[in-house]
Amino acid sequence: MRNALVLSGTMAVLTVCLLVEPRAQQAGANANANEVVVGTLAGKPVIQPVRRGVDYRDTISPTDAAMSGPVPRLPDGHPDLTGPWEGGGSDNDIGVEGGLKPGELDALLLPAARTLKAQRSKAIYGEPYIYCLPMSVPRINPYPWKFVMGYTGKGLQYIYQLHENGDAGAHRVIYMDGRPHPKPETLIATWWGHSVGHWEGDTLVIDTIGYNDKFWFDAPGTPHSEKLHTIERWTRISYGTLVNDFTIDDPDTFSRQVQLRFVARIVKPGVELMEYICAENNQIGIAGGYLNKTDASPIGIGGGR
Amino acid sequence: MKRIVLVAFGLWSLSVAAWAHHGFETEYDNNKVVEATGVVSKIEWTNPHMHLYVDVTDKGGKVTTYNLELTSPNAIQRLGWNKNDLVAGERVTFKAHAGKVVEERAALDSLVKVGAPNQEIFKGQRPDNLGSN
Repeated sequence: MRNALVLSGTMAVLTVCLLVEPRAQQAGANANANEVVVGTLAGKPVIQPVRRGVDYRDTISPTDAAMSGPVPRLPDGHPDLTGPWEGGGSDNDIGVEGGLKPGELDALLLPAARTLKAQRSKAIYGEPYIYCLPMSVPRINPYPWKFVMGYTGKGLQYIYQLHENGDAGAHRVIYMDGRPHPKPETLIATWWGHSVGHWEGDTLVIDTIGYNDKFWFDAPGTPHSEKLHTIERWTRISYGTLVNDFTIDDPDTFSRQVQLRFVARIVKPGVELMEYICAENNQIGIAGGYLNKTDASPIGIGGGR
Repeated sequence: MKRIVLVAFGLWSLSVAAWAHHGFETEYDNNKVVEATGVVSKIEWTNPHMHLYVDVTDKGGKVTTYNLELTSPNAIQRLGWNKNDLVAGERVTFKAHAGKVVEERAALDSLVKVGAPNQEIFKGQRPDNLGSN
């Protein structure tokens, strides 16, 4: 019996090693116990936590062999980025989730932005998301989302990004027809801004301006201004992994450009986006006695500038 | 029938940090645990979160309706439950974290039917299970 247990235990360890270690060796990386190398991008390893809080709860495990399968392609040869995916953005701490050390991003905040974040952190009921307003870019939550590749007779003209929960019923459109951004002086700031996209090889590059300054990058309220300009570089490196190399360019908020990396995972077969009308029965604030109290959010919803 | 138990939930409270953006610590009392048995009067399969209403009768005959907040109906369905798994009129025992100000508005921790005390049903707002959304 004991021998059988030892044998089965050894087999289990070997199985895990066979699934994980070859990629780790190939990439030359040393993943810790909670991390696994899920592939490479530009010759460098892409490392993922096996588990991170409640993120990725509907996804295939990164240690599953299916994750490393080939990238599906569309009839025109482009990678199919549809998903649905989970992860791939910020939620509780945009800096740490984006690969920086704790506090590293805050050190880049300009003084006014640092003050604003401090005010927001003390006013939990100021966050727009809890009132069912959009999360915007690059936020995600523990629910699936997808890119809808919008083909017409002219080819890929639009990509829509849909979140099951977090877009407040809005849709984000990324124009793929070659149009430029409107002139900044004519652009009205909106939750999702104005996004144009193009392919660089197998990477979808999305350039967005025209954001409002109301949404928060993460729960503690990391801010941005209406000068925010983001660049997303989405690369599906395998069947199960979609990398989002994310650039924040906001000279009114950060002392320099910020480069982050988020990683999304493919959901399990059968998981589809479901209806989620957030404002239907939102009872936030009642149990805590905050509803209708003027001190619930001294900065108002959003705590904008 | 109803009892309020003050419990220091060390591990549990550690995981509550993940709740920050839905304000668990401002909405619910981490240390005030309600355990009670009652009759389900209403189930709301609504967004952003499900709500379960349970009528609890104390020894004096006074009825208190608890409004228990669960996670989203989408998450519950993905775990395999549907509207036929619990209906109004059934007797249940629940454990929940009371609202900080409105005590009978509570965050569900666990729920069983009286007839099946070892079979937990649905999932509450325990971040170690499902997260905050």
